[in-house]
Amino acid sequence: MSMPNDTFECGHTLEELSLYLDTGEFPDPPHLESCPECRNGLDSLRRLSAAGDELFASDLAAAGSGTDDWLKDILANLALELRPGRSIPLSSDDPADTLSETEGSIVALVRSVADSQPGAVAGKVRLEGDVTVPGSPVAVRLDLAVLFGHALMASAASLRQDLAEALARHTELNISAIDITITDVIDAPREES
Amino acid sequence: MRDQLDVVPDAILAGRAADGDTAAFESLARRYGPHMRAAARRLTGSYADADDVVQEVLVQAWQQLDTLREPAAVKGWLLRLTGSRSIDLLRRRRNHASLTTADGEAPADTVSPGAGPETAAVASAGIDSLKAALSALPEEQRRCWILKEINGQSYEEIARTLNISPASVRGRLARARITLVREMEDWR
Repeated sequence: MSMPNDTFECGHTLEELSLYLDTGEFPDPPHLESCPECRNGLDSLRRLSAAGDELFASDLAAAGSGTDDWLKDILANLALELRPGRSIPLSSDDPADTLSETEGSIVALVRSVADSQPGAVAGKVRLEGDVTVPGSPVAVRLDLAVLFGHALMASAASLRQDLAEALARHTELNISAIDITITDVIDAPREES
Repeated sequence: MRDQLDVVPDAILAGRAADGDTAAFESLARRYGPHMRAAARRLTGSYADADDVVQEVLVQAWQQLDTLREPAAVKGWLLRLTGSRSIDLLRRRRNHASLTTADGEAPADTVSPGAGPETAAVASAGIDSLKAALSALPEEQRRCWILKEINGQSYEEIARTLNISPASVRGRLARARITLVREMEDWR
């Protein structure tokens, strides 16, 4: 047994070494280079850490894949409720009718238009402005990931145009701006799994 | 679309899921579900309980995703929720100890008969001896070690999960490691 005591003859402890491995903090770093006991202790802790990594890899493999039935069953049971967001009034020919659409449906529309661009995947979508008041200016802000190999500027320009058309067709919002932020360029081959 | 969702960064998926996109949420669940399940199994010691934990965490995550300040940190968040739910479950189980024996499943840490020091020493990787040593640890030390090494949580995060101070986490983790190192080196 290589560690008879928690405190070594040099006065340092395994607890200090344990903290050092996690945080890099140690009262006397040069000491670790020269003290055989501390080096021995660090080696042991590193072997334990490596065994921990192996245990995790083994546990992860045993847990199965995200496409397995166990997770499909869980997802099927979730019954995720919708997120309608704000209610957006629509004009109507008959004053007795009250028409509206949900913010969630417009956000979904923006996502779907963005996703239909080659190599583009929409992220977070925000409608900024008071969408509940007809005619108030509304800015659309959209995060976008673009798959590597697709022209960024051309994608953004044509997406902005498609979004403007889709929003004009499906909503009565007074769109003051469409801001697209490309948050990620994905350096991964598509359709590979 | 599903193929594309599977290659985009976490922040994109978390942003979409917070907006109500169930496909993005399910992609996140596929991405981190196995890690969540592995952590919950190791913490609760029960396959059935672990899947209950994963399901509860996914429900909670869907409800609270829009409160996540840093969408890129969604993985750590899901694992922290998994840790907390698992610990909650263990506390409930302790309060209803008589009910859990009906579970009928062997805990994940149960060492098969004969997997004592001699046979464990033969296992090259030491996983078996680590599992055995882990299951013999005091419960609070074991939880600290698993939350750190399997869940990847920081001392502060572990402290919040277990409702103890970061200094206690540091001490328990160190004691856990000292014991594990001794047990494993005894068997070499």
